[in-house]
Amino acid sequence: MPAGIGVYLCRCFGRISEKVDLERLKSKVVKWKGVSEVRVLTALCRPGDLASVVEDINAGRVDRLVIGACSPAIHPESFDLLPVSGLAADLVERCNLREQCALAHPGDQAGATTQALSLLKLGVARLKAASGSVTPEAAQWNRRVLVVGGGIAGLAAAGNLARGGVEVVVVEKRPWLGGRVAQLHRYYPRGCAPRCGLAVQIERLLQSGRVSVHTLAQVADVHGTAGNFQVNIRQYPRLVGQECTGCGRCEAVCPVVTDISKGLPGWRKAVLSPAGAVYPQAFAIDGQACRGPACGRCVEICPAGAIDLEKKEEKSFNIDVAAIVIATGTAPYDVATLERYGYGRLSGVLTSMDLEFLASPNGPTGGRLIRPADGRPARRGAFIQCAGSRDDKHLRYCSGICCPVTLKQTRYIRDAYPDAEVTVFYMDMRVTGHLEAMYRQVMEEGTVFIRGNPLGVARNEATDDLEVAAADTLSGRRVLVRADLVVLAAGLVPEPIADSYRLVKDGFGFVPGHLPCSPTEGRRAGIFVAGSAQGPMDAGGAIQSALAASAECLALLDQRSALRPLLDKTKCDRCKRCLEECPYGAITLDRDGYPEPNGTACRGCGVCQGGCPLRCICLPGFSSREVAACLEGPSPGGEEVRVMAFLCANDAYRALDGTVYPVNVLPVAVPCAGAVNMGWINDALLNGWDGVIVAGCRPDECHYGRGSELAASRMAKLQETLRSMQVEAERVRVLTCGIGEGGSLAAAMADFVRRLAEMGPSPFKEC
Amino acid sequence: MPPRVKTEKCDGCRAQKETLCVLICPGDLMVLDPASGKAYCRSERDCWDCMSCVKSCPHGAIETRLPYQLGYYPAKLIPLVGSNKISWTVMDIHGNVERFTFKTRNDD
Repeated sequence: MPAGIGVYLCRCFGRISEKVDLERLKSKVVKWKGVSEVRVLTALCRPGDLASVVEDINAGRVDRLVIGACSPAIHPESFDLLPVSGLAADLVERCNLREQCALAHPGDQAGATTQALSLLKLGVARLKAASGSVTPEAAQWNRRVLVVGGGIAGLAAAGNLARGGVEVVVVEKRPWLGGRVAQLHRYYPRGCAPRCGLAVQIERLLQSGRVSVHTLAQVADVHGTAGNFQVNIRQYPRLVGQECTGCGRCEAVCPVVTDISKGLPGWRKAVLSPAGAVYPQAFAIDGQACRGPACGRCVEICPAGAIDLEKKEEKSFNIDVAAIVIATGTAPYDVATLERYGYGRLSGVLTSMDLEFLASPNGPTGGRLIRPADGRPARRGAFIQCAGSRDDKHLRYCSGICCPVTLKQTRYIRDAYPDAEVTVFYMDMRVTGHLEAMYRQVMEEGTVFIRGNPLGVARNEATDDLEVAAADTLSGRRVLVRADLVVLAAGLVPEPIADSYRLVKDGFGFVPGHLPCSPTEGRRAGIFVAGSAQGPMDAGGAIQSALAASAECLALLDQRSALRPLLDKTKCDRCKRCLEECPYGAITLDRDGYPEPNGTACRGCGVCQGGCPLRCICLPGFSSREVAACLEGPSPGGEEVRVMAFLCANDAYRALDGTVYPVNVLPVAVPCAGAVNMGWINDALLNGWDGVIVAGCRPDECHYGRGSELAASRMAKLQETLRSMQVEAERVRVLTCGIGEGGSLAAAMADFVRRLAEMGPSPFKEC
Repeated sequence: MPPRVKTEKCDGCRAQKETLCVLICPGDLMVLDPASGKAYCRSERDCWDCMSCVKSCPHGAIETRLPYQLGYYPAKLIPLVGSNKISWTVMDIHGNVERFTFKTRNDD
């Protein structure tokens, strides 16, 4: 006898067999075409019983399996028989006879048995239609990763990747690595100098031998998918060669002088000094500000002959990488837009970043805290929190780090002047976790906290002091605080992230990822986001996030099996809808214009198959033949109301386990509500199903982003068609359901069945 | 009567160069309006009412009313396309509805 489908029914020590008449099932199933073996076993999860199944496969009696046992959510590993029998997972069909038959229809043995029969029919029909085993492809790609941004997050990610044996390319926009952290005076809460850790980190990175660094470079364009990105990088000329010894004569002779920042005293030149930078320890020339070869004083004076002002053209080159880590970070919000605080207009009004630079030994005053206008000691400091943050007209969000930063910076003033007078104006002090200790300490040190947004900052011409006017919202009094320095705790705004990455951003330009399922991913496989590009965070948070992103990245590089949607090229008309709708950008076009799914980028959501008008792209198990078999196999006849329910395997299908739902509904698991093709619903109606349910997660909760939203919009269009055909549009319904809401899903199903009974049989039923 | 495109349902096949109805029309009558991104019939008098575009539209956005020789407004012919079956709903000017279901293709 040739091998056929083996149907194995589990008694589950009586839990199934008490409610479902397995012997009756067996007597029916054994007569079905294509079924070569039907057996009822005590407990399929027991090694002994499972061994007998494997024996049947290995003896050649059975080449496809229908397992009638508990829910696929239980024992997900037990029926993976590939290692012991060579039977691929897609040739094993699991019928949920326990949770969705035996336990779901208590006191109705006949109903439970009929339901079990329908499920088995569906399973057998689907296996008969299955084209054969789908072998997972081995992913093949280089082990090179691009890290965009050489700040603390980019360096942490690059370091971790290099340690993991990956070749790393770091692209940094500025002339030196280190990013914002290199401009900081001290970290909180320890008070250590950021340059210390940074130097060690960069040193280790360069010593690994796996990292190449491109400074003054930016990503111009990105093509491809996970495992195979082609990146075009544009590099601006540094104009100073590797021979630079850092002597600084060029800076001394440079005639171009510009401001460091709007709030700080001092200047910088077109020759940029690496003071404070860690790597590379070489000067650079600002090509925009430089007067060019006509001036040429720096070229003349350089003893090493390192400067060449003629080499002004940009360099452009391509690299192939398997994955990308984006660590582009943030910039401080432009507080000059808050006119009442006078930033850029009043000397002595600084941002937090300005104060860091002023306090730093590399700063314009060598680290002495003085009033920029007259050089007198700055012993009175006033800090204004939420400068632009939590403000409808500026930044609607809380930047999270400004409160601890201000607490840290009160120390700068207090360290310089023990008799300092420090005032902090705040809306709410947001210091969480272990930082609370720092807050308490700063309060004990005598810093005054006043709750209220200042009305404005002005200069008192008589005393030449800055005066901050505010209303103390706790005491209800107006206060006027005199200060030498006013520090605006500016919020953080994301550095722009190019659209060519096709990442899903929030309303502010951050890429927060899909929380909590995949926090480092912007819905584009193979591109990870690290550090404050995800959202405002401090250096510690940025390093944590970078380590997470690089760990994800390493896992992706080692992913060796890939399952992808199958394409029937004979049917495909290259409409590109799948490419447009894929939430992960996993589909590209091949040379002939046909979609080419990338198995590793694919998450198996099936949104492509849901949107395909010709139903020619599908996940294994969901080809039009297999789906048609599911719909025709247990084809309903008679007067009874029959409903086909496509349930999202993440939420709705699991939620239904263990609930009591109407026998009239036949549940089928689909990867996502967005994977349901409207053609399936047409098929179901034409095959005599009275109604169809598509149930997915609530729109905000979809694991794949927009699945249930897509299902609802597609369904609305179908309902309109049905209405115009004089068919009740209510025969098809989209339900949303969280994983813990099985009860309400079952109730909605019962209500649906009741409504259908009132409507009468489907008009397509008699045909 | 020629095909009418319901603009609120048509998504221009996501503004591809050639939509499914453009591809399938044997008379080459359907075109995509580049401005609105929606399809329309450019020469209504040349339409033979073959219904190909109506069947091909994944959103059911195209509607064909029956030619006046067969029935005045609101007589309609609407298909529901399945993989192995198709059902035609016919409506006459009095609103009488009749349905015909046929097996169209057998993948086995």
